[in-house]
Amino acid sequence: MSDTSRRLQIKFSVPSDPRYLCVVRGAVGTLAAVIGWDESECRAIALAVDEALTNVIRHAYHNRTDCLIELECRESADGLEITLLDNGDSPDRSKICAREIGCDQPGGLGTHIIKQVMDKVSYEESPDGNRLVATKQLRRKT
Amino acid sequence: MRISVRDVGAAKVVEVEGEVDLSTSADLRRTLLETLPDVARLALNLGAIRYIDSSGIATLIEVLKRSQHLKKEFVLFGLSPAVQEVFRLTHVVRIFQVFQTEQEALGTS
Repeated sequence: MSDTSRRLQIKFSVPSDPRYLCVVRGAVGTLAAVIGWDESECRAIALAVDEALTNVIRHAYHNRTDCLIELECRESADGLEITLLDNGDSPDRSKICAREIGCDQPGGLGTHIIKQVMDKVSYEESPDGNRLVATKQLRRKT
Repeated sequence: MRISVRDVGAAKVVEVEGEVDLSTSADLRRTLLETLPDVARLALNLGAIRYIDSSGIATLIEVLKRSQHLKKEFVLFGLSPAVQEVFRLTHVVRIFQVFQTEQEALGTS
């Protein structure tokens, strides 16, 4: 058996309904704990995935609850890779992390959270839809 | 998420328990914005919040701005670890008045 096949990979088809967000958070937080992050980091990783899903629901699907988001969480050799795929409107790249963090404006915090929690975040438009890939490396304590 | 409101003198204290996310933040927003005009000081207890996302933080910022417009005090107290982490990530702690206890938040300590 290859090393890759012994790593956990979870795929969700998440309805674009906010009431399912808590289910995904629970699963992602548990997976992060098994990989090796501490409680605080697990909460942060679950938050980052929640924010990414929330952005899709609000901005790609405009709060419609009858659409689907494909979410894949893959344990990698050195951490975790999260992929989200949706078929809604493409993100406006000029608005990603456009607001100043820490200011008193209520919108646009989600993308800052994702960027701060995850090590690498990329957005791309593909024939399958809008794809967000976010990775985080586990820094093992020696 | 469970929300309750109680009177403490000229102020009101709002207690929130559970998870604040896109599915629940509208209820918190409605309660806070409906309560705010009736009081001189509105204190929000964040000690029993297990989870809050950016929609919850955006709600708090919106209520703060409304309170400034109405010349009311909107203060927070008892931040749970989950809330503290999100405040740290979003750098918003400096825009709020944050206290450790209800007595401090209400100015009665």
